[in-house]
Amino acid sequence: MMDRCVRCSKCKFLDGILVKSKKYSQVCPSIQMYNLHAYSGGGRVIMANALYKGRIGFSDEMLDALYKCTNCGACEVTCKMYYDIEPNEIISEFRATAVESGVAPMPKHKKYIELVDRVHNPYGEEAEKRQAWLPKDVDVDEASQTLYFVGCTAAYRRQEIAEATARILNAAHEPFAILGSDESCCGSPVYRVGDRKRAIDIMKQNVERFKQQGIKRIVTSCSGCYNMLKVEYPRFVDFDFEVVHISQLIEKLLAKGKLKLANPVPLKVTYHDPCHLGRMSEPYEKWEGKLVEVLALVYMHDPPKPIRTGARGEYDAPRNVLRQIPGIELVEMERIREYAYCCGAGAGVKAAYPDFALSTAQNRLEEAESTGAQALVSCCPFCSTNFRDGIRERGSPLEFYDLTELVARSIGGGE
Amino acid sequence: MLEENIYSALTAIVGAQNISRDPGILETYAYQWCNEVDNTLKGREPSRFGQRPEAVVLPGSTEEVQAIVRLCNEHDIKFKALSTGQGAWAGVTVPRAIQIDLRRMNRILEINARNMYAVIEPYVTNAELQAELVKYGLIHNAQGGGPQTSPLASHTSFVGPSFTSAHTGFSGRNLLGAEWVLPTGDIVRVGSYDYTGEWFSGDGPWFSLRGVFRGGYGAYGGLGVFTKCAIRLFSLPIPKDWKWEIKGAVPNYDWSLPPYWKMYVLNFADWDTFEKAFYEVNDQDMSMMAMASSAEGLATMFTNTKEAALENIFAGLLVRAQRYFVVMIAAHTQREFDYRAKVIQAILKKYGGQDLVEEGVVTPMPMHYAEGLRNSMGNHAFRFTSCFQSTHGGMDTISMSIKIGKVNQPIKQKYIEKHVIGDDRGEGIWITGYEGGHMAHLEVPTVYDPSSPESCRGYAYYQAECNQADITNALGIPFFIVGDAFHDSYGPSVMNYPRWLRKIKASFDPKGVSDAGHYVSSRPGESST
Repeated sequence: MMDRCVRCSKCKFLDGILVKSKKYSQVCPSIQMYNLHAYSGGGRVIMANALYKGRIGFSDEMLDALYKCTNCGACEVTCKMYYDIEPNEIISEFRATAVESGVAPMPKHKKYIELVDRVHNPYGEEAEKRQAWLPKDVDVDEASQTLYFVGCTAAYRRQEIAEATARILNAAHEPFAILGSDESCCGSPVYRVGDRKRAIDIMKQNVERFKQQGIKRIVTSCSGCYNMLKVEYPRFVDFDFEVVHISQLIEKLLAKGKLKLANPVPLKVTYHDPCHLGRMSEPYEKWEGKLVEVLALVYMHDPPKPIRTGARGEYDAPRNVLRQIPGIELVEMERIREYAYCCGAGAGVKAAYPDFALSTAQNRLEEAESTGAQALVSCCPFCSTNFRDGIRERGSPLEFYDLTELVARSIGGGE
Repeated sequence: MLEENIYSALTAIVGAQNISRDPGILETYAYQWCNEVDNTLKGREPSRFGQRPEAVVLPGSTEEVQAIVRLCNEHDIKFKALSTGQGAWAGVTVPRAIQIDLRRMNRILEINARNMYAVIEPYVTNAELQAELVKYGLIHNAQGGGPQTSPLASHTSFVGPSFTSAHTGFSGRNLLGAEWVLPTGDIVRVGSYDYTGEWFSGDGPWFSLRGVFRGGYGAYGGLGVFTKCAIRLFSLPIPKDWKWEIKGAVPNYDWSLPPYWKMYVLNFADWDTFEKAFYEVNDQDMSMMAMASSAEGLATMFTNTKEAALENIFAGLLVRAQRYFVVMIAAHTQREFDYRAKVIQAILKKYGGQDLVEEGVVTPMPMHYAEGLRNSMGNHAFRFTSCFQSTHGGMDTISMSIKIGKVNQPIKQKYIEKHVIGDDRGEGIWITGYEGGHMAHLEVPTVYDPSSPESCRGYAYYQAECNQADITNALGIPFFIVGDAFHDSYGPSVMNYPRWLRKIKASFDPKGVSDAGHYVSSRPGESST
């Protein structure tokens, strides 16, 4: 597959017909920041290819290029429009190979992985404090087969999201359990930097915990957790649970009339698609079949193989919910849906390269400001953290809200 | 490996963030599409990895480019500049050479709507420039390389046909001026800029250097570095309040098709009627697009996946489409549109053709109009195997283009039967007219499998045979006349032009530092190709 790269540089930009301005034509934060071709999706494919062919060994600069990537998947969307290549998959394998070779991950990653091992979250917080976010007036049903998987960032850093989520579920009379101090990191920060063995161990432990608790359905308010549970877990471990993002659940609850948005929230907002809820959230569907040469050198999958293109990510549920909040006016940025520009935090970047993470957030914030919106809304605690840091650093007039916060305000009880 | 003092000097010019000599980083410049062809023809394995540069530098200004080039002269180091850099010709070809990556020079310096030109730096892409030009109701010639490639590279240094060539010509003819860092490090501003401050004319005062540094096909980066250029713009018939809007999801988008735009696929029974109709459509000078391809090309042109293209083929497209060309008309008013549509119908009737769109054989969607404008459409051909390349390439007349197509068919069929290139029955061509039909460009897109050494070798030998056929049959300039060996093989047929080319190279590049691997060296046999 790697020999198919034609070094065309499409991986750096939105697809040609989607470009509406020079300012927002780029889709890869890494090449936009570091410029050398090695910092693009295609560049990493070439480095992986050269390594695979034995032309080079690992070097510090190569690892720098490999890890200054948010694994956001934009390169894969734009590449697959024309080519049969999966740059983001190759980057993931490249990182796993680097870890297996003993040269990676980066020191900051090793540090948080050690914390995940020890206290089950990358922030080094005590397990006992994991449910400190939980207000006394929120009802939790320990016997429920629906689990609200809070995630490390909402539990320890973005507690307003955890609280808003719980209040929404209560308001809709949707019973849910939590794992409290027994909840463990989903494994995303470990998996994304290539420590696959340890990530699979975490997956197995979590699945065991879900089974012991009698869980059937898992609700997440974190796009990163959602992606791990929905997309990655089934690739590596036996996994038989329904996984729902809170935006999807709210949309359904609104449709069924179980949730009412009564209080106006007068705000002009723009919405940021989290990579892990959007283009990266298409599941890997198992395929068994063969390649058939239908014309000379041209092959088709028999039966047809489901291709992850980014088209089937979750883009509409958050928007549909926003539009139903009285007083909300939704305006769009140029780079949206499968071509959304990453917030800059993912895949170990926020921990190891905070300046890069912040610079990327500022690029996105500038785009959000250009819409005339008063607030930027998203659906991911990790995006939230990076955007809040970016707003502070930039002195941006924008406010930031998680979707759950606005919904909680509209049903009452948010302020 | 570069000496430490030279590397330090380069670092001082561009800054530590903008230079690397790490082998892993440099591999991303050594690897290029079509190196597998070059490598095969040089008797090597058909690998996409070519010569690895000693270092890569990313200058941020003309002054930094100049300083790099002077340093190369001082220390006898060869250099090659690239912008987006897709293709073997973008890379270095000899040891002790550095790559100049112009990615940081990416500004649109001016859009002069009244005088219809734009001044751009090397890393402005076609999509970026067009997105800004659309706001003025203007368009440029965005070469077939695609929306992510550099119009400066095309206008100053390469060939430059496009899907809108019927309206926008080809890049070489649209160059209005350039800032050129000579291989010696001197800076020359070509065209009107140096005495008027505006870039409205590529010539003047008195004489023009355009022919010297680019001529028909360009120097492929073998004669210095271009750091700015002015290019001609053309009107784009859109209403004043119209906006470029895209909806839908990958790969099926919906574009806000402006009023008075229409696409036709005019199909004729044979080459003779095709040729006459194609001349007349071009002569009317009213098309945004007028270009021909094979039925296989048509299958992929108006579909968005490989599977959909193949379904088109299996549904009988090869039988329904004989000799066809695609025409897109775009008008400012209903009356203008009606007139143009009437002319198309008259030509169709005169030569007994059918419109395959009207007959429901193919259905161009609004997004395909947008892809035509942005020149994404050529990229559709990559979908079959993730790879294709073109042979021949004569820039001549429409009738010559057809002749090349006819000569090519049995050659191509031979390699199809060897199962090393894709099967388009030898019919795969792409022709576009320029300048009211005065000129035309043909190339023969050919699919091969980049993951198969046999296929890469097969394609390379096919390309070599096509080049030879061009010479033997006097079919015009082969597409890949690059490097000494090719120029020397073609030269005797064309007034021994390489000896003049070498005089230019020797005069402008006395130390031979501008990598000549895909151009010509000042002395035969000096370059590696």
